[in-house]
Amino acid sequence: MLETILQNRFAVTAVILFGIGFMNLLLQQNLLKKVVGFNIMDSAVFLLLASLGYIDGGVAPIVGDRGFDPLYINPIPSGLVLTGIVVSVSITAFSLALIQRIYRRYGTIELWELLERAGKEDD
Amino acid sequence: MNKTPSKQSWWLRLVEWVDGDREPKDQTLFVMEQRPPRHVQRSDAEFATQDKHRLHRFRRWYPVCAVLICLALMGILMAAVLTMPTFGEADNPINNEVAEHYLEYGLEETGSANVVTAMILSYRGFDTLGESCVLFLAVAAVMMLLLRDEKNTDEHDQQKQEREDGILAAHPDLILRRAAWVLVPFVFLFALYVLLNGEVSPGGGFSGGTILGAGLILYSAAYGPKQMRVLMDARRYAAVRTFGLVLYVLLYGIYIFLGANQMPNYLTGMTLLIDLAVGLVVACTVYGFYVLFSRGEF
Repeated sequence: MLETILQNRFAVTAVILFGIGFMNLLLQQNLLKKVVGFNIMDSAVFLLLASLGYIDGGVAPIVGDRGFDPLYINPIPSGLVLTGIVVSVSITAFSLALIQRIYRRYGTIELWELLERAGKEDD
Repeated sequence: MNKTPSKQSWWLRLVEWVDGDREPKDQTLFVMEQRPPRHVQRSDAEFATQDKHRLHRFRRWYPVCAVLICLALMGILMAAVLTMPTFGEADNPINNEVAEHYLEYGLEETGSANVVTAMILSYRGFDTLGESCVLFLAVAAVMMLLLRDEKNTDEHDQQKQEREDGILAAHPDLILRRAAWVLVPFVFLFALYVLLNGEVSPGGGFSGGTILGAGLILYSAAYGPKQMRVLMDARRYAAVRTFGLVLYVLLYGIYIFLGANQMPNYLTGMTLLIDLAVGLVVACTVYGFYVLFSRGEF
């Protein structure tokens, strides 16, 4: 059991990070902190993906005339992580912009307070 | 259901029904009759208290449910993770023939020694096109939400902004300004280096573009919006942003066309140009986010 955890240490760390981020996303009342939780979840996924492509003793996949034939790591997960980071940045920026607008409109970014104020305005 | 009190009356009823003396009671009608009479519409106050009660209950149970869901999810994920192949082994299922092909023929087929660049700009170029579009749209969406113009800015905001600008103009941050004066050229130089060496060394459009955007942000923060407008105003920004994306689409279209029709590719360094286009898009995105969040206008 312990051996398995040690062998898959990056994946286990990713799962723990994902849990922390998910908990933040669900339980925090502050919208900004929710976004932070979301970003922690993103990082967990990136960590998992990036660690999948690593090969022990491998070098960065820059093929060239090195005079020897090294073991390269897998380039595919790196490219996928790049895609993920771009999407994560975009989503973060968009949600932050939304939060700024919410703050300008209602004067708060605490979720329950926000719901109360929005409900009062509806009446 | 119509429950008869005794067997006798049940038998009598059946006999009556068989004889045709009386119809059995219509069940649906009977149910309707048994319903309690409808209440009059509840008052608003009643509704409000009920809503409040419901919300209260929700608030009490929400954390418990959230923790339970999270723990269940983590349990499932952990169970999945523990059965994964060992970290760092060369014969893991993820290291299949696709990665081998990229590593073996990447340099020959795309002319780019950095296999990650070769992959994201040639083999998976449509994916990167999608990414560029996502960035473009993200800036457009943030612009829609935060851009300040005559319609959505009232007098108060305008005055506040002008006051802040006046304070900044009267008391410039000397340390920041001097540091930026020294640093900005080197940041741009480094950005160009990373952009142009994306094929043969770590780097490429995304990292180089981010550095370029960071240089723009540093310049804008040090010298203020007025000076920045000389270098890049709203029109120019929009033009550069669109130009990057259109350049990417055009170049990649040509690239795909040449490759699909087995035509010889005389345009060496095509990936380099595509890299530059991606860099432009990314730099504009990073700088645009900064400007829109800090001031709301260019």
